[in-house]
Amino acid sequence: MADADRKPLLDRAAALLAGPFLLGRQALSLVFPSDLETPSEVPALALQRISVTPPEHAIKRRG
Amino acid sequence: MKTRLPDHGPVEAPRFWRTLEERVETPEARQAAHDEFLPGAVPAYDDVHGLPPQSGVSRRDFLGLVSAAAALAATVGCDRKGQGTVVPYTKRPVEVTPGVANYYASAFQEGRRVYPVLVKTREGRPIHLTGNDEHPGVRGKTSPRAMADVLRLYDPDRLRAPKAEGRTLGWTEAEARLHGALQAAKATGKPVLLLSGAVASPTRKALLADLKAALPTLEHLAYEPAAGDAAEEAARASYGQSVAIQPRLAKAKVILSLGADFLNGEDPETLAAWGAQRRLKSAKEPINRLWVLEGPLTLTGTNADHRYPVAPSRLAALAFALARELAAKGLPLPAGTDLSALAAGFSEGVDVPAKAWANLVKDLRHAGRNAVVLCGAQMPAAAHQAAHLLNAMLGSEAVALSPAEPLATTKDVEAAVQGMAAGRYAAAIFWDVNPAYTYARAAAWKDALAKVPLRAWVGLMEDETAAQCQLLFPENHWLESWGDYSTPSATVLQQPTVGTLYDTRQGEDLLLGMLKALGAAPAADYHTYLRARWEKAVLQGGTFEQALHDGLVKGDPKTASPVFKGTSVAAAAGRTVKGSEGLELVLFPGFAPHDGRHANNSWLQETPDPISKMTWDNPVAVSVQDAQALGIQEGDFVTLSLEGTTLRLPAVIQPGQAKGVLALALGYGRTTGGVAKGVGANAYPFLGLDPTTANVRPGARLTKAGGRKELSRTQSHHRMEGRDIVRSLTMDEFLHHPQGHHHQPELVTLYEEQKFPDHKWGMVIDLAACVGCSACVVACQSENNVPVVGAEQVAKGREMHWIRIDRYYEGELENPKVVHQPMLCQHCDSAPCENVCPVNATNHSPDGLNQMAYNRCVGTRYCANNCPYKVRRFNFLEYTAYKTEPETLAYNPEVTVRPRGVMEKCSFCVQRINDVKIRAKGEGRSILDGEVTTACMAGCPSDAIVFGDLKDPKSRIAQLVTATRAYKVLEEVGAKPAITYLADLKNPVEGGHHAN
Repeated sequence: MADADRKPLLDRAAALLAGPFLLGRQALSLVFPSDLETPSEVPALALQRISVTPPEHAIKRRG
Repeated sequence: MKTRLPDHGPVEAPRFWRTLEERVETPEARQAAHDEFLPGAVPAYDDVHGLPPQSGVSRRDFLGLVSAAAALAATVGCDRKGQGTVVPYTKRPVEVTPGVANYYASAFQEGRRVYPVLVKTREGRPIHLTGNDEHPGVRGKTSPRAMADVLRLYDPDRLRAPKAEGRTLGWTEAEARLHGALQAAKATGKPVLLLSGAVASPTRKALLADLKAALPTLEHLAYEPAAGDAAEEAARASYGQSVAIQPRLAKAKVILSLGADFLNGEDPETLAAWGAQRRLKSAKEPINRLWVLEGPLTLTGTNADHRYPVAPSRLAALAFALARELAAKGLPLPAGTDLSALAAGFSEGVDVPAKAWANLVKDLRHAGRNAVVLCGAQMPAAAHQAAHLLNAMLGSEAVALSPAEPLATTKDVEAAVQGMAAGRYAAAIFWDVNPAYTYARAAAWKDALAKVPLRAWVGLMEDETAAQCQLLFPENHWLESWGDYSTPSATVLQQPTVGTLYDTRQGEDLLLGMLKALGAAPAADYHTYLRARWEKAVLQGGTFEQALHDGLVKGDPKTASPVFKGTSVAAAAGRTVKGSEGLELVLFPGFAPHDGRHANNSWLQETPDPISKMTWDNPVAVSVQDAQALGIQEGDFVTLSLEGTTLRLPAVIQPGQAKGVLALALGYGRTTGGVAKGVGANAYPFLGLDPTTANVRPGARLTKAGGRKELSRTQSHHRMEGRDIVRSLTMDEFLHHPQGHHHQPELVTLYEEQKFPDHKWGMVIDLAACVGCSACVVACQSENNVPVVGAEQVAKGREMHWIRIDRYYEGELENPKVVHQPMLCQHCDSAPCENVCPVNATNHSPDGLNQMAYNRCVGTRYCANNCPYKVRRFNFLEYTAYKTEPETLAYNPEVTVRPRGVMEKCSFCVQRINDVKIRAKGEGRSILDGEVTTACMAGCPSDAIVFGDLKDPKSRIAQLVTATRAYKVLEEVGAKPAITYLADLKNPVEGGHHAN
């Protein structure tokens, strides 16, 4: 029964190799970060930090 | 799921039902109730773990993958992901103590309504709003939209700097262009149009007067497209001026609503008065009675003791007939009243059964000045005038009338459009309004506006009107602004609670700049202008600082109450009944977007509409009878057409809606905004140009358009299989059989009784006081960082709200009774979810909280499967990790933001409990009763929710749980929930109290 359900050899081989390869590449990139540039899909504006300042002349109720 | 309406005969139906599927008991409904989750809610294995269902991966392959992955996972595990750096302030602002919240009093305006609020800030960021507890009217309560508006402060779509013809430029250059145009207009004597929202601020009004003095050709129109032109027209006819009508329900024994939705959450003062009358401890206490005549089902209608579906066009005839009958029974008609025109066209017993009609007349007559008649803002002007007449006849003390600043009606805006088209104006300034979207004849507007030489726009986010203007001025959010407002019981201050996030200014500062350019010598900024005016005109002995601290100066402004003119009745009575073919379309402001200004607020878009339970859309609501006649099923696309305007949109079948009436929400179908764009359909083109009936349009046609839409509707989610969940009693039942046929189950347990050494937190929810307004849902979302998932996920039943309002129907499809029931984690003592968690991520605290350890949760979802109340929410996808500033600034730092794969649910606001515990410990005292408030409790305007310590016998909650109306949901399961419900109450004529 197991044989009947199995995928073709090529698919299995690809899955066996690709999984560890992708995981490994991710692991290495985390340990040795090589590219610190902004990912292109993130808009530059979103990465700008917003400066939060207290309000002028306001009087707080409590805190 | 497709639902066919029953073709014939009565069906054996459950007493309470939530959807048409449940009511007609289709096989699909039975299957859906049996299934734990909606189809698609739970993936077969798949989009969570990355493997396709039935992937065919064999055990051998799987083990190979696992072993390879395990080896590499060890390497990955050595890295510290998501590493951040926490650094102290180099220069700490004096107001900010890290970790300690600051609270500021301020105020929010929406249309003519003003909400005094208390703003919680953390490390300088406003994060949560409640009502201002110092205000004698709202007493710490506010509206769902006011609470959600904190999110608009952090909207990434906000305009961050001035723009001209699409190019960013500095304020000096932008203002110079505007000032040049105004100076030229002054020199040539050409008019300048200023279109703004309602003026509720006395200081803004003074500033506008100053501007008018400096630029005599200025034409100012206050434009609120959702305020209801008919109400404005009727007030001018009945009282000779614009009037603000404020119900005083504390004094009302009998209330008649003519399509008035005064319990829709917008008016916390009215909701508080309603709740106070409905939270009964004994059946002998007095209670009011609510009669509702309305077309579309409203929240007020769902809370009625007697409700009759009536087409809005017939309301005026009914109300005038009521006046005639009351007059015949001895109530005096105001001088000059002539009802003779009414005789034709009205026949009793058509809309309201004769017996009910007699009871209504009797109720109103007996209650006299303790009766009130309220009319919905969108109803025809004649109905408003009939309500004014009835209140005058009754001498009603349950409604307060005060003069209001006039609003522009469609007629006024139409005149301005014609002026623009004729090239009359030198410049036009649009301040916080969006007529390019809200004006019914959008094409005519665009053509006319193009003929104005200088078009300036002042606002928060670039909208449809901004796209037609040359100069764009970015405005402060109100949480960054100064201001003041008049309310009936106090003059309220608005102060900034955070410095401006971007290069923005408030509109009033722009006006001051104009004044200066026109040769006046105004104050340097609006704060100085406001303060000077307050010190001169408002403060009487007090200081400005004290007023800022309190957020208000109490005092009832002494204004003469407008007097009803009986002579206005004859004309109104003459235009009551108009026969017309086709359906009657009622256009009303959407619960989430209101007039469209909140359409970009995702919290509101995802909060289910209290009646239809729709999210992210505005389908047209069709009555059960019309749906049957037209062969329309839920979600079917239909074509709605009226006077040449056509719209294709989905339909929903709304039980309780009057036959021949269609209901459609305004505020959707925006073409700008990251969230708003493309959500729903724009209904403004259907608005009428006759202000007396702008929102009620006869002659609409509806046809099936083919195709169907999967509705993002939550009412069928989290079914409870017809168990005894919700209870509703008449006053007679409350007196004689408060527990009805329900019996107290004898609970046997194998588990050891749990001990609570210090506290035992619990909650009581009074269904008689709960109106279903959803304020608790929004308050919880804001407090607990509840993620927004979007329409597609909601359609799969994956909404994340920790508290939901279940809306139950009872009775016939055509006019059911309704009960609302807030449902949240019940914090069971013997919680079924805790027993099945394989990693003990959900467990019980020593003070009775069912708590979650998020970082321990591995996402098995066993707990959700085993929860009898269906209140656990699973993060199927990553809803939060990709958010960046400014959106993340809205987060409450006291509450963990949950990642994908984690289960979450109501925590009874454990962060608030701990905050109070720490404070009490520091002060060496015990926790006081009422000191801990959950967000839902604090947000509930009708005080239906009470939280407290069940171990304290003197606490309010300890007394409430012993009430005769008290019951626990699914008590027979033996989970021992910590939430007690008090049964809903209805006060019908038969089975209720006498109204007087």
